Amino acid sequence: MKSKIDLDHICALANLKLTEEDKKLLEPQIIRIVKWINKLEELKIDVKKGELYSFFSFTLPFRKDKIKRSLPAEEALANSPEKSKGFIKAPKVIEEK
Amino acid sequence: MSLTSLSATELSTLIKKKEIKAEEIILAYLERIQEREKEISAFITVLEERALFSAKKIDKKKKKGKLAGIPVAIKDNILTKGIRTTCASKILDNYIPPYSATVVKKLEKEDAVIIGKTNLDEFAMGSSTENSAFFPTRNPWDLRRVPGGSSGGSAAAVAAGETAASLGSDTGGSIRQPGAFCGVVGLKPTYGHVSRYGLVAFASSLDQIGPLTRTVEDNALLTQIIAGPDPQDSTISSQPVPDYQKELGKRLASVKAAYLKEKSLEGIDNEVKDSYYQTLRALEETGAELWEMDFPSWEYALACYYIIAPSEASSNLARYDGIRYRFRHPRYSNLKEMYLNTRSEGFGQEVKRRILLGTFALSSGYYDAYYMKAAQARKLICQEFEKAFAKVNFILTPTTPEPAFLIGEKEDPIAMYLSDIFTVTASLAGIPALTLPIGLSKGNLPIGIQIMTNFFQESRIFKLAFLLEKKVKFDNNKLNLHKKEE
Repeated sequence: MKSKIDLDHICALANLKLTEEDKKLLEPQIIRIVKWINKLEELKIDVKKGELYSFFSFTLPFRKDKIKRSLPAEEALANSPEKSKGFIKAPKVIEEK
Repeated sequence: MSLTSLSATELSTLIKKKEIKAEEIILAYLERIQEREKEISAFITVLEERALFSAKKIDKKKKKGKLAGIPVAIKDNILTKGIRTTCASKILDNYIPPYSATVVKKLEKEDAVIIGKTNLDEFAMGSSTENSAFFPTRNPWDLRRVPGGSSGGSAAAVAAGETAASLGSDTGGSIRQPGAFCGVVGLKPTYGHVSRYGLVAFASSLDQIGPLTRTVEDNALLTQIIAGPDPQDSTISSQPVPDYQKELGKRLASVKAAYLKEKSLEGIDNEVKDSYYQTLRALEETGAELWEMDFPSWEYALACYYIIAPSEASSNLARYDGIRYRFRHPRYSNLKEMYLNTRSEGFGQEVKRRILLGTFALSSGYYDAYYMKAAQARKLICQEFEKAFAKVNFILTPTTPEPAFLIGEKEDPIAMYLSDIFTVTASLAGIPALTLPIGLSKGNLPIGIQIMTNFFQESRIFKLAFLLEKKVKFDNNKLNLHKKEE
């Protein structure tokens, strides 16, 4: 298995910013953990791709597609740090040049 | 007799006979919390007023539920409407859920009293409760030691007599390992037996809610109430739930149990090994057939788990972005910076470690080598269980490789991960597993045995655990844990 880790790239994907101190601690730890999980490489497995996710021991249930009352907007928005006129307010997604 | 040393079943009988009021029970437990909490720190929130109000309301009811007046503590990653639910994380510090988890609704429907919200490793990631963003919880048996984790607060609160029962959540051992460390009974039910609606998601294909109690009978009683179909969880079985408590009294037909070869217990603490084999001998005396078995795939279970669980976590925790859940970093100049600052400040180190690990395993170029390989290993573990259950109906292992370790002892994350060596396999396969206290080490630390069985056979687990409980006579009142201190 490849185990070269570009921590800056992974952080960017995960929306995390590490301080230099964090990085010093976490980087060698993550490299060690990845080396440790590379143990799986030894395992010779012959499982078809289609069978991989069928580990449920029962049939998943369906329910009727009925419209039910949902949370009132006010309650659903209550935890948002910023809201305005019944909407969640977030910083601009597209910025002006 | 102190009320806080009685089991939930005993308290429930007293309530039914009208020999005691719910209010008296709750007052006794609140007093106990006040006495012990300074040392143990099992709770993030104690719901004193709310619990007393509920108890008084229950006392006035003519027709009372099955758990009338029984105090139950809830792990703080299970939503409680209008009550702060933090996941022991800074990022959810002030989060007040607008709805309750199905399990909480089910408990309250049976008149249980929610006494408080318990401490955990942040987002249930950890094996010691040291990863809580607020404070560590201490093991009531030895305050220098951890209670295990991630449901450490739930286990410690039951062990110390601060509640009659509690709910925890288990992703790779988070009910069973703290259960063993604190000398209480803990069940991880079959995946899909208990609704996950309102459980803050960590690894959705592994997470299950289950009870921690002082006795097997209490555990059966609580499981019976929280399990069963829920239209709000699409990964739940529609199977009806048996009356587990009633089933306990019935005979357990033909016990065929697999146990581990001494060779596979290399590196395991000697006292744990001794208690394990002693319990096996006691079981054999009851006429059970014991089979020595080998599970070669288990060697890979932890590596498999530490790819699957962080991968799912990295996806599940993407929602904490500073937009919906209270905490937003005050300094940012644009959206991206707000995400980065909020998440970097809001998450603790273990959570960051797992998000990064999961993001790596799922990233382009690595997905096949890691995530796919782990999914294959998981399938292999499932197949091995399937093969074993064709021959036997139980598999018995120690719950943990050692009794409770010291606070601060395991700084190396891999050493900490090894705590779950016996528990992750049942999580990966989705089968039920229970920890039962079977003895004390020379240092007076509890030791647990893990009983695993096939899907939806909780009834059989309870019956076997009930039988063993009588044989081993573990005294969880030892060290006067529940008695009022003079």
